[in-house]
Amino acid sequence: MAAPEFLRKAEVIKQGAEARVYRATFLGNPTIVKERFPKRYRHPVLDEKLTHRRTLQEVRSILRCRRAGISAPVVYFVDYMSHCIFLEEIVSSSTVRDHIASAQQSGSCKQQDLEQLAERVGQILAKMHDEDVIHGDLTTSNMLLRCSPDNGEWDLVLIDFGLSYISALPEDKGVDLYVLEKAFLSTHPNTEALFEKLLKSYTASSKKSPAVIKKLDEVRLRGRKRSMVG
Amino acid sequence: MHLTQELELFPDYKVTQMLFKEVKNAAALRQSAVEGKLQCALINPTMLVNHFQVLVAANKAVHLQKTGKMKTRNIYSEIIFNLSPTNNISEAFKRFGISDGDDGVMVVLVHNKDETELFSDIVAKVDGLQVPVGDISSLSDHAKIKKLYKVTPQEEKCGTLLDAVVCRMATKDVM
Ligand SMILES: Nc1ncnc2c1ncn2[C@@H]1O[C@H](COP(=O)(O)O)[C@@H](O)[C@H]1O
Repeated sequence: MAAPEFLRKAEVIKQGAEARVYRATFLGNPTIVKERFPKRYRHPVLDEKLTHRRTLQEVRSILRCRRAGISAPVVYFVDYMSHCIFLEEIVSSSTVRDHIASAQQSGSCKQQDLEQLAERVGQILAKMHDEDVIHGDLTTSNMLLRCSPDNGEWDLVLIDFGLSYISALPEDKGVDLYVLEKAFLSTHPNTEALFEKLLKSYTASSKKSPAVIKKLDEVRLRGRKRSMVG
Repeated sequence: MHLTQELELFPDYKVTQMLFKEVKNAAALRQSAVEGKLQCALINPTMLVNHFQVLVAANKAVHLQKTGKMKTRNIYSEIIFNLSPTNNISEAFKRFGISDGDDGVMVVLVHNKDETELFSDIVAKVDGLQVPVGDISSLSDHAKIKKLYKVTPQEEKCGTLLDAVVCRMATKDVM
């Protein structure tokens, strides 16, 4: 088995519940490897099937996004035996999370900058949902800002499609946004207005947005009711 | 002139690429490869954006050979098949293999050691001018590549042509 041996020497950058993420050099390029491992408590045959399906879904969502002009890491190689995906490492980038955090610290002069970023995120998510890609784990850590070497402009790159899937249902898109809203507001204090900007830009960018926002409102209400009860 | 890269996943394997221009014996070379006398992949360089595209195809070919999942006869036909965005084998050979009248050839070898003898043997057999592998950019036909891989204009905005091509190759079995 080639990939497991190779990964033993690679640097682990994240240990998750179903996957490990490594940094390595592959075909001479800086590469991120995502390895899904078996879950012992699941039946081996079922586990194999589920893991295979997750790997496929991740690869499909990345390709679908890229085809539509939404930046996501290039897929270099997929090993379906060991469930590893080899992806382009997005070098000289920082997470949207770090960007917002440092802008908030440095004071009000960055406010306009942040609003622009929120609008950009809204546009990209609208485009992604118009392609029926549901990310499944939207957070500001799963969005990278990459500085283009050609023109010095910033490019927003979506990463970690590990929980993604394809769906045209407004409900699924609404939940996708709800997950982001929860993560956004808890990671970045006092950003309600900023997140509103993001949603406004999402709404303006997608023709299908009214149904999605309606679902988002419903999901928010459900979330609130649940927290009142339990 | 040639370019050799070790496959990190298969440390016993190396891939060497040699590029030739002004080739006069493409038909004879192709015939030797078909007969198995010439053990290498002969690729039409107009279909290559750069050497990395070949490495991605070669790495996948070695992986499929080791796991017994090759779709074609040998490692070299598998490299050519892996370059193609479709699962049609004869189409892959037509587009990515060399044709009898071609005057450019990318020779690809998969080997274990530093096989200097093997390299000079190839150079002796090709009636043409060896040029640095980096010169591939002057031979590649981007319009044809875009059309064959169905690269959309918006896709080119979020990455290079190489990115788009490599992504298609790596994921063609799941689309
Ligand atoms: N393609 C990539 N380029 C750069 N960093 C990445 C990439 N993919 C993942 N990472 C980093 O690895 C962490 C875990 O990856 P993930 O499980 O995909 O979220 C991310 O939060 C990023 O910091």
